[in-house]
Amino acid sequence: MTSQKNDKTERKEWYKLDLSAIVYPTLQRKDFSSVYRLSVVLKEPIQPDILQQAVDIALKRFPTYKAAIHKGLFWRYLEPNTRPGPFVQPDIKNPCMPMPFKANNHYLIRIYYHRCRIALEAHHSLGDGTGGMCVLQTITAVYLRLLGHEISCGGFVLDVNEKPDPEELEDAYLRYANAKVRPPRPGEKTYRVRGTKEPFYTLNIIDGILSVKEVAAVASKYNATITEYLNACLLYALMQKQENEWHRKLRPVKIAMPVNLRRFFPSKTLRNFITMVYPSIDPRLGEYTFEEIITQVHYYMRYYINNKFLRGDITTNAATQQNPVIRIVPLFIKDFVVRFFYTKVQDKNSSAGLTNMGAIKVPENMKPFIERFDIYMGQPFSSRTNCAIASFEDILTINFASSIKEADIERLFFCKLIKDGIHVKIESNRETEF
Amino acid sequence: MSYCVNCGVELEPSLVSCPLCNTAVINPNELPFLKKPSPYPEEKGQVEVVNRKDWAILLSVVCVATALTCGLLNFLVFNESAWSLLVVGVCIIVWVAAIPATLCPKLPIYVSLLADGIAISLYLYLITFVTHSDHWFFALALPIVILIFCIAELFALLERKVAHAFLTTAIYLFGSISILCVGIEILIDRFLGNPISLSWSAVVLTVCVIIEITLITILSSRRFRNAIRRRLHF
Repeated sequence: MTSQKNDKTERKEWYKLDLSAIVYPTLQRKDFSSVYRLSVVLKEPIQPDILQQAVDIALKRFPTYKAAIHKGLFWRYLEPNTRPGPFVQPDIKNPCMPMPFKANNHYLIRIYYHRCRIALEAHHSLGDGTGGMCVLQTITAVYLRLLGHEISCGGFVLDVNEKPDPEELEDAYLRYANAKVRPPRPGEKTYRVRGTKEPFYTLNIIDGILSVKEVAAVASKYNATITEYLNACLLYALMQKQENEWHRKLRPVKIAMPVNLRRFFPSKTLRNFITMVYPSIDPRLGEYTFEEIITQVHYYMRYYINNKFLRGDITTNAATQQNPVIRIVPLFIKDFVVRFFYTKVQDKNSSAGLTNMGAIKVPENMKPFIERFDIYMGQPFSSRTNCAIASFEDILTINFASSIKEADIERLFFCKLIKDGIHVKIESNRETEF
Repeated sequence: MSYCVNCGVELEPSLVSCPLCNTAVINPNELPFLKKPSPYPEEKGQVEVVNRKDWAILLSVVCVATALTCGLLNFLVFNESAWSLLVVGVCIIVWVAAIPATLCPKLPIYVSLLADGIAISLYLYLITFVTHSDHWFFALALPIVILIFCIAELFALLERKVAHAFLTTAIYLFGSISILCVGIEILIDRFLGNPISLSWSAVVLTVCVIIEITLITILSSRRFRNAIRRRLHF
């Protein structure tokens, strides 16, 4: 929703934070921000000055990304940011660093370049991966156009000469939060990965590069989709890890998986429009084989990921925000309560995070310039690992990001893929010891 | 092209060991001293510093305005005593204490503490103009400020340069408290012209010594240390 202040000389717009975005700033700590990263690897080295021009041109099209976050008495809000920037900068070894709201000229995005890679880091309060992908692809398209290539608009590439569509700036949750019942939120303690915390400023990345065809062939052998198969592999890895450790009692193994609601509820919004589902297995019920896990995930997805259940989920989340009593509570009390709830309940509700952006579409005439896409869910709130998947043409990238030294989950996950006959190439920013 | 013999994954050429299982890569066909470039940048980033210049300007303006207006009020209206000097002193203390946090966050702590000490001493000296006597300042107040400053500097130095675990910090803290109390009692005795003898500070010193001995015992035993750490972690 956009509120407008009419002035004779100036029309200054501001944007309410969307339903999901309300939570992310409350979790902000000196050593943690909800920052995600999307990057594209081109086939030629990046020219920083041209990239800066492309950013300056493209960002005007995305008013909710060229914005600063401010505190009101009851809620935070976004306001257009007219300060210089954001400026492109050489990439760093430790991506998704905390993003103080008042640093970097109050921008909540960072743009990096390294050899052939353009990377966009955005605070989750601005939008989700789909919105971020629109920004990244539009910047890339403008960059390629400035180099003299003909790139058409379409898909994630928006026309920079057009004015933003009001639907792109809307809080789409509110349009669809109209189910007649509000299903309860799951609130069960799950298995937590324990590990040695890395020092501040460290984000360990392990990227697996695979062939889409190979993974699809193996997944179809199990009668599952790629997402279901990879979900099952991660659950299998977590289950094995729990078995290998000593525990007084076993706990369910659960994955937090964001679902892109645009697939079910038509919206052009570039802001957050996701909800979480939690595929899980419960080892207390007995030993699971991999085939049993994949069947469980397959039916869970079929049962929960449809517009009926998702509408109920949105309605539950929206009900809290729309409650008149909650609305009049001052922001600092809301911050305290939300942070407490997130730390004590929500964060303990899943053992790992997994997101799959699926096959990323680009305009036909942009394809020859692109090698691959990478996405990172960013620094986990607690000591665990986050996994993000994206594919482009025949390259599927699985990107693990964690703040702990141990890489057991990643090892068990990729070893399962190897056992299933999939070729995996590993890249990592971890400091190896030999 | 190298593969991990343990995990079976192909490894990117710059990797010298498998990031999944830490098994070393030994490829006889590749020269070990030729390091291949990593696909990731080598440089680590630092979180951007928050610009608090606006707050610093606002604070400076408020402090100067308060000092000036109170000075004028003292000079023109309530002019029985120089009370505005006390307000000016408070403004100086607030400004000196807040500036490191707003304008120069990278200022060494030792310099900040020195500035704080000077500001407090100046404030106490300004009081002498109101009370029309400076004996108490030179004989008692200034030595106590210097003592507190020295202890604070020493505490900061130990925290920064020596190990700064939770228990070690507690040892420094109780040590500082005992030295401070003993020092204050000696200075008071000297100021009052009494023979130097310890009374209440001896009680504080005894309690602190007991706590220090306990902490040192815990610190010297790894088993003890870990047990305490497990129970007190937050």
